[in-house]
Amino acid sequence: MTKNINVTLKVWRQKGPHVKGGFETYPATDISTDMSFLEMIDCVNEQLTLDGKEPIAFDHDCREGICGMCGAVINGRCHGQEKGTTLCQLHMRHFSNGDTIVIEPWRATAFPMVKDLVVDRSAFDQIILAGGYISVNTGGAPDANSIPIAQEIAELAMDAAACIGCGACVAACPNASAMLFTSAKISQLALLPQGKPEATSRALAMVNKMDELCFGNCSNERECEAECPKEISISNIARLNREFVKAGLVSVVK
Amino acid sequence: MHLDSKIPSGPLAEKWDKHRFELKLVNPANKRKFNIIVVGTGLAGGSAAASLGELGYYVKNFCIQDSPRRAHSIAAQGGINAAKNYQNDGDSIRRLFYDTIKGGDFRSREANVYRLAQVSNHIIDHCVAQGIPFAREYGGLLANRSFGGAQVSRTFYARGQTGQQLLLGAYSSLMRQVAAGQVSMFPRREMLDIVVINGQARGIVVRNLVTGEIESHGADAVVLCTGGYANVFYLSTNAMASNVSANFRAYKKGAFFANPCYTQIHPTCIPVHGTSQSKLTLMSESLRNDGRVWVPKTPGDKRPPNQIPESERDYYLEEKYPSFGNLVPRDVASRNAKAQCDMGKGVGETGFAVYLDFADAIKRDGKEVIEQKYGNLFQMYEKITASNPYETPMMIYPASHYVMGGLWVDYNLMSTLDGLFVMGEANFSDHGANRLGASALMQGLADGYFVIPYTIGGYLSGTSRPEITTDHPAFTEAIRYATERTQKLLSINGKRTVDDIHRELGHILWEYCGMSRNDEGLLKARTMIRELREEFWENAVVPGSSQDFNQSLERAGRVADFLEFAELLVMDAFERKESCGGHFNEAYQTEEQEAMRDDENFCHVAAWEHKGDDTDPELHKEPLVFENVELTQRSYK
Amino acid sequence: MNGLTNPMGTSVGKKLMMAVTGLGFCCFLTIHLAGNLTLYGGKDFFNSYVEHLHSLGPLVTLAELGLLFFALIHVLTGMLLFYQNYNARPARYSVNKRAGGRTLGSATMPYTGVILLLFVIFHLMNFHFVDKTNTTTFQLMSNAFASPVYIFIYTFAVIIAAIHVSHGLWSAFQTLGANHPKYTPFLRGLSIVFSVVIGIGLGFIPVYVSLLR
Repeated sequence: MTKNINVTLKVWRQKGPHVKGGFETYPATDISTDMSFLEMIDCVNEQLTLDGKEPIAFDHDCREGICGMCGAVINGRCHGQEKGTTLCQLHMRHFSNGDTIVIEPWRATAFPMVKDLVVDRSAFDQIILAGGYISVNTGGAPDANSIPIAQEIAELAMDAAACIGCGACVAACPNASAMLFTSAKISQLALLPQGKPEATSRALAMVNKMDELCFGNCSNERECEAECPKEISISNIARLNREFVKAGLVSVVK
Repeated sequence: MHLDSKIPSGPLAEKWDKHRFELKLVNPANKRKFNIIVVGTGLAGGSAAASLGELGYYVKNFCIQDSPRRAHSIAAQGGINAAKNYQNDGDSIRRLFYDTIKGGDFRSREANVYRLAQVSNHIIDHCVAQGIPFAREYGGLLANRSFGGAQVSRTFYARGQTGQQLLLGAYSSLMRQVAAGQVSMFPRREMLDIVVINGQARGIVVRNLVTGEIESHGADAVVLCTGGYANVFYLSTNAMASNVSANFRAYKKGAFFANPCYTQIHPTCIPVHGTSQSKLTLMSESLRNDGRVWVPKTPGDKRPPNQIPESERDYYLEEKYPSFGNLVPRDVASRNAKAQCDMGKGVGETGFAVYLDFADAIKRDGKEVIEQKYGNLFQMYEKITASNPYETPMMIYPASHYVMGGLWVDYNLMSTLDGLFVMGEANFSDHGANRLGASALMQGLADGYFVIPYTIGGYLSGTSRPEITTDHPAFTEAIRYATERTQKLLSINGKRTVDDIHRELGHILWEYCGMSRNDEGLLKARTMIRELREEFWENAVVPGSSQDFNQSLERAGRVADFLEFAELLVMDAFERKESCGGHFNEAYQTEEQEAMRDDENFCHVAAWEHKGDDTDPELHKEPLVFENVELTQRSYK
Repeated sequence: MNGLTNPMGTSVGKKLMMAVTGLGFCCFLTIHLAGNLTLYGGKDFFNSYVEHLHSLGPLVTLAELGLLFFALIHVLTGMLLFYQNYNARPARYSVNKRAGGRTLGSATMPYTGVILLLFVIFHLMNFHFVDKTNTTTFQLMSNAFASPVYIFIYTFAVIIAAIHVSHGLWSAFQTLGANHPKYTPFLRGLSIVFSVVIGIGLGFIPVYVSLLR
């Protein structure tokens, strides 16, 4: 049932990338448990604005869990403690009156700080840019039904394709590795017949780019899988590894 | 000014072919000499930038999010239509065309809609080739479902995430062009103005949302793919950053705004929970394929749904529209839900909700089948409401979702401002007064992949443009204007937050210019909007500086534009003395409370021309000519 | 796109090297354990096993060189990975909570690894780089495990090894691309069983030897 609670926020505030940041404490009063976490921050921001202070900067857009724009570490957990949930879909009913909530931004060298809870995730675009596509120009495609794809394969590809690029996998990984993100795209395209011709070069190129961007190395800690709001499986990482072995060691292409 | 839609002559089915042949081509070697600016990276913008890059043009692509992959097209759930007729159930290009024209209540252009239906098939081919994991049958062929009032199964889908998959497909093509050096990406940039030189759109001025710097970018043509303005209602299913600003700037620089009053209220959204709600969440309308909509027969019946016996339930859609039942078009479903709630039959804490019940479907098909079809939607619903739709019926209520109105464009998708092209939801052209489900994705991609690559070439090779640089006085002037406006916003220093004012604006529009409208209310709304606008410029508070990442400032700029635009929306609604599609004027309804069109006097596109900030805009009319369909009263009985 | 960089230099390549060498050590541990189990057959049985092993001559040297090579790769790559991973997140979180993926083994890999390296050196100095002309291996053991300190060090090290392989074995398969809903749960289970067997099998030996005295 709906009720109203009071919580205390300890929020990471940092004016910019080269300025020292620190925690600030704010009360969030009279918060309806039906509110989403971001709506709760909206309320705090309204108050901060009226008090003549600068509101907390945080990324958000669709607020329905699909754009991947929002995200923060809530009490040590990416997107909060609920499984398979983005921060915008986390509701205040999961908190109790009197709770103290610590809010931190994603932390990784590859995700430089912008402001407060906002970080720069353009490294993900760089990884896709390195080969996360099928090279097909508009106009030349054969009929959509010309290549049948087994339903199970299509479903597996869809499981991987569900990635929203929020960065929680990197934020959750003790090594700040982007393997889950990278493997999700490599997996999706390697599973589908349309993606096979480029599978070899794609795996190598994307992994190389990922390393170049200073992401850490995967050590199979499985935290990414546990925190992914779309519950993308690390079986995709294993598939990436297989693709990589094929590409790097046994490929006929130089 | 005469509005020339440039629709090619000849039989409907041959127009597009003929037009493509007649359009001048740009020599492949010359394409690299042309710069094109594309604003927006959604289905229309992303696909346009990618396709133009593939052709060899040099493209600059802008978006307000941190990555092009986040445009709000990503949130579309249900699917994308195409006239493939894979199901052998009687579909054809002509039927898709007819359904779309009829669904739009005969307020769209025949030629545009026919072209849309024609290219729909190529979209599916291209998307499959891009690696989009559409749903498939066991045999490995593509699956289809019937969707949003269509009587054939022509909707392709990828679970409840079709928009996401299509957008990521366009995004991957876009990234490929970025890697090839054909497209330069400019994320976290907000367009503040269009630069017009010699009557031609030649560039834009943007604010770098991270550094606050105002930047100038010149080009040979500008393509706006900046989405719709449903956020004018404050609460809508649109993303928080969706706004009208880019379109409104273009309008002020000479592009006509067409049919702003055509807004779509989607029937299946999660009801509002309280005053601090920031946005509404859509539940895909595919749910209506299996869910049954009902309310208690007795007004004020507060019993929990499972205690209301079958005989005391009112399945009002099935009753009223026996042949379409729960699958009537969105506008019809929404209005009926509102009517039931207005009679006091609404359910839930607020009384502004109706049930969408899956009990019968679960009984018929088993929980497993329903879970496979709608599992992720049910999960999402439970996450938001903490109620389990497998056991308790869902509660839904209409919410502002999409806008059919937008900048006026001709058959080439060019606005009344030379060199300014407008695509996707940002233009007005294909959906008339109401959009059918699974048509928005189709339109965005059709415009971007298959229309603009041809028509922009015709413009570039058919016009002469002087060489310019961003030192041109027109750029300096645009920067001056943008900077001044920013400073003005930051110096108001009042007592009301921008969100609070936006919320009030939303209330005004929802109340007086929402699902049903009347002349008196519209006049009242116009006055209220003007007063609120005055209050905004005197009493709003915008903290922070213009020189860094300042989300309050971003919002303030958008709301300032909404406050001006809302008046235009209301004026347009007032001028259209008929009911059609999403525009329902209470004075014009049949005895059965259905929308009553006035084809004699209002079979036209209303295009508004900006005449200055202190003068009323001028209304121009583009008559709609129907040669291939007969205008009928939409009936879903 | 490819051909320019050495695949083994990438993050995945390094992990592959860790996996292959790690699996090699798991095999070695299995053989080592099997050999040591001859202890339970008595002093003579054990000594005759040792003699037989040493009679293989060049084969043993080859195996030793192989192990040394594997160790170099495993240790150096591991150190590089640790350094890179640290640099990937120099600013730490103020609140750290596990989401359910990390285990004791996975969270401590670099640290258990370092302890094992030190132990292996210690172990080799005890039993390998000593003059065995006038004594049997059993005698060496018996002398060593007379000291409670030695018993403690050896038992502790074996527990550390067990923790290390509890993550390492499964992780190696995952890195090599072996992940399937059918057999991944089995592999994860196998990792635990293996670490328990190694832990008990090798860990009990010092105690047993000291009891024989």
